[in-house]
Amino acid sequence: MNLSQLPNISPNLIIVGFLGMIAIVTAIGVVAFNNPIRSMLSLVANFFTLAFIYFSMGAEMMGITQIIVYTGAIMVLFLFVIMLLNLSADSVISTKKLDVKPLLAVPVGLALFVGLLSQVMMPFAKVTQPTAPSGWGGPQAIGRTLFTEYVWPFEIISLLLMVGIVGAILLARRRVEE
Amino acid sequence: MNDVPLLVYLGIGLFMFATGAVGVVVRRNPVVVFMCIELMLNAVNLTFLAFARYAPSPLVPPGGQQHTWMAGQMAVIFVMAVAAAEVAVGLGIIMAIYRLRNKVDLDEMSTMRG
Amino acid sequence: MQNPIFDQVWWVIGLPLIGWLIQCLFGKNVIQSLGPATGKRVMGSIAVLAIAASFAIGVMIIQALAQLPADQRAVSRTLFDWINIASIRIPFELRIDPLSMTMVMVITGIGSLIHLYATGYMAEEKDYPRFFAYLNLFVAFMLVLVLGNNLPMLFIGWEGVGLCSYLLIGFWYKDFANSKAANKAFIVNRIGDVGLVLGMGLLVSLISSNPAAVAGADGRWLSYDVLFEYLPSIVAANPAMATAIALCLFVGACGKSAQFPLYLWLPDAMAGPTPVSALIHAATMVTAGVVLLNRMQVVFAASPVASSIVVIVGLCTAIFAALIAFGQTDIKKVLAYSTVSQLGLMFIACGAGYYWVGMFHVITHAFFKALLFLGSGAVIHAMAHDQDMRNYGNLRKYIPITFITMVIGWIAIAGVPLTSGWFSKEDILHDALYSQQAMLGGVNIGMYAGWIGFFAAFLTAVYMTRMMMLTFWGGQERWKLIPAHAGGHHEDHHHEHAHAHAHHDHGPDTHGFFYTDEELAKTHEEHGHHHELDENHKPHEVPPSMWIPLAVLALFSAGAGLWLKGYKAFPSLPKDTLEKWLEPVKYAEEKAHGGAHHSPIPFEQFITPIGYWVGIVGIILGVLWYLRGLPKAEGWDLARWNPFRRAAADQFGYDRAMVDAGIEGGGLLGTFMWKVVDNKIVDGAVNGLAGAMGVLSKGFGWFQSGYARGYALMMLVGSVAILGWLIYFFNTTGGRS
Repeated sequence: MNLSQLPNISPNLIIVGFLGMIAIVTAIGVVAFNNPIRSMLSLVANFFTLAFIYFSMGAEMMGITQIIVYTGAIMVLFLFVIMLLNLSADSVISTKKLDVKPLLAVPVGLALFVGLLSQVMMPFAKVTQPTAPSGWGGPQAIGRTLFTEYVWPFEIISLLLMVGIVGAILLARRRVEE
Repeated sequence: MNDVPLLVYLGIGLFMFATGAVGVVVRRNPVVVFMCIELMLNAVNLTFLAFARYAPSPLVPPGGQQHTWMAGQMAVIFVMAVAAAEVAVGLGIIMAIYRLRNKVDLDEMSTMRG
Repeated sequence: MQNPIFDQVWWVIGLPLIGWLIQCLFGKNVIQSLGPATGKRVMGSIAVLAIAASFAIGVMIIQALAQLPADQRAVSRTLFDWINIASIRIPFELRIDPLSMTMVMVITGIGSLIHLYATGYMAEEKDYPRFFAYLNLFVAFMLVLVLGNNLPMLFIGWEGVGLCSYLLIGFWYKDFANSKAANKAFIVNRIGDVGLVLGMGLLVSLISSNPAAVAGADGRWLSYDVLFEYLPSIVAANPAMATAIALCLFVGACGKSAQFPLYLWLPDAMAGPTPVSALIHAATMVTAGVVLLNRMQVVFAASPVASSIVVIVGLCTAIFAALIAFGQTDIKKVLAYSTVSQLGLMFIACGAGYYWVGMFHVITHAFFKALLFLGSGAVIHAMAHDQDMRNYGNLRKYIPITFITMVIGWIAIAGVPLTSGWFSKEDILHDALYSQQAMLGGVNIGMYAGWIGFFAAFLTAVYMTRMMMLTFWGGQERWKLIPAHAGGHHEDHHHEHAHAHAHHDHGPDTHGFFYTDEELAKTHEEHGHHHELDENHKPHEVPPSMWIPLAVLALFSAGAGLWLKGYKAFPSLPKDTLEKWLEPVKYAEEKAHGGAHHSPIPFEQFITPIGYWVGIVGIILGVLWYLRGLPKAEGWDLARWNPFRRAAADQFGYDRAMVDAGIEGGGLLGTFMWKVVDNKIVDGAVNGLAGAMGVLSKGFGWFQSGYARGYALMMLVGSVAILGWLIYFFNTTGGRS
């Protein structure tokens, strides 16, 4: 691949590249920070950035949902749990023998990245023109599809959420008998 | 204007996914492991949306039918819903374990040992 | 254009089924809301009506059928496709032809009489709707058996009646002996069913090997009308296969019709209520084997070997069961063995190639045996549910209607000339004598069976006379020897009597029905010692609902022979009605007579006089023997019985031997399977494998650290490995395998 094959540097690309950088850095932060609070804040930043990437694709509804559901709801849930359990940093001193897992995991993860990037994604290198029309990610389009073609999965998902709520309450409540 | 290559989105998603996968293995705090799983799910969501927008599959005619670009978004919605349910139940389990042991270290939990 | 009444044939089966549903769904509620007396009358009427309506439709259909020309008397009606696979289609269809409609007449006609009788007999029964539900269901299944237009449908009915028989034998299931009897009947019937299924399978494989047979008829090549077109030529070309099929089917018939190796279940089946014994174990279900042989007569006719075996088995059964009947003291057991014996005669007729004669005896036997069973039920009813003939005597004074009707049944079964039994037995034995069908190695088995069959007929007359004499004649009224205050236990009776009682099987239970303790106590208050047979007992005649069926059956027992066969002394009567009627369902040539009526056989001149006199002589001998009541040699003290009678009472050890062989043999086999096959071979293999697994698992054990992160790592490594393989695969082959 030589430089002439690279796409033109457009303002859009610059913005998306910048957002991607933030996403990558915060993703590393999630794994690398020893303190769970910091990990969590990285993750919030990551999800927030992701929402803007969605906006840049024209998927406004998804971006809004991302902010509301993930950064707004799920991450707050994480925060609550961390605060409630008073989780501190992983203990630095390992009493056990040397753990080989991190040593093994990083090269394997790298292999995964390189393998997928080189073999699976490179064939798409020439795709630069979106096929979706404008407005494809607007609330109107989503709502119409969700309540026509996908109404059954949608209803089933609501059932799943209800079961999830009941399960969470069952697991987390204090046992009255004790 | 619309000349951001698909590859950029896919690359960001792939990196997040790989990072999350490594994080699941290396971190010992179950809450953080959960966060890494969320990271992976979001990476997949990003990939879904990217493919939905660019629809590069040879199976889909250029211009596509309507559901070609809607299907990806629907998948994202369902992934989000499932993730929300999963987080609720997963964090509930963590709470229960914490109440039982006063400690949540994945390496302390080895009852699955064969 | 066919008569539209043929389309209503479904109701013949449907009405008993509806009756069954009504009994099941509403029986309990109706009896609860209307009170026991009214409720039972309503439910009983519904049960009787269901069968009687079915009978009425049957009559209309049979009239319509008789109006058709003889060669068109086979109509089939399809309800739906039951099995439809590849090249075979088995519709759920009914066949209206003389054979099936004759059986429908017998089943529903006698069935409705028995239902009517049962409304009276079971009047004190608590589980009234359950009883009639079973009875209705039984009739429905029996009708499926005879009306079905293919062997699989016959099999539905076959298994269905087996089930109902099981349910009804074990009707008073709280008594363990009844449950055991029901189980025995079910298990012995299963042995026969294996034979039937094997026979059906062989038949299917034989026909399916013939492409021409399978090609036509839109896949319904198992339906009788299609089957009978080409079956004769197929079985003629495969005599060995025909023998195998015939023998397998005969094993099935032996099970259901209680023939020699498998007759064991029928005497035990007397544990059921008496109407059940009459309906199932005398009139209808046990004749299923004869119906099967009639349907499949083409196969049997093609195989002299199988026919000879049928004759031999039938003859052995007839003689053996008749001898056992001499040692029985339970009135129903006598009738049970007599049924087995008469069924043997039917099989002699079928084996000799005269299938319609077998049906003739089925019909007449259904009349007089149902009559005798119902009559015995009336006697048992009158005698406070005691079934032991040693407690009877001189009953003709007390229950005259029962007495008169049973006398008619008695002379019919004994074969007094001009009664129905005489006609059918005469036909069986004559045809067997002249038959050339049952030839085994050049010996005409049929001829010998005919001669020995006269002896069986003679025995029948003697033991039936014994039963009648002990029950209705003799100066002694022997139940008066039982002291009143004993309350069912006879401790202070003279020693030998009590001793014998202890060993004696009193039949299913002395009350005849089951109540909770409180209810039983209440009943006792109401009726005093009504249910105990003792010196204060007064036998009383049965209610009309019970003696009307007896009267009707007596009429037919006496007259059915004249009606269906005719007699030379009455030229105005039509001759050979039944034979002409069943002519269209004769698919096999009768191999007999050798051209000019018959080839001479030895001692031919004696046949006719013997036929006339054998029954009468038997009756006279019996009367002389039992004129003075119960002989000491048959009393309560078994030690004073002569050895023959003791052996007969024990079924000559056959039942015990079979059960022991079953249990001991099964035990030995089980031990062998356990100690050698299971412990050594199976366990050895399993343990060896388990040991190897243990060694392996120690090796792989370290993978299973128990740490979730370890498993996550494994997943990651695994997916990367698969990814790597995929990349390699696509790069080397370009995505095409």
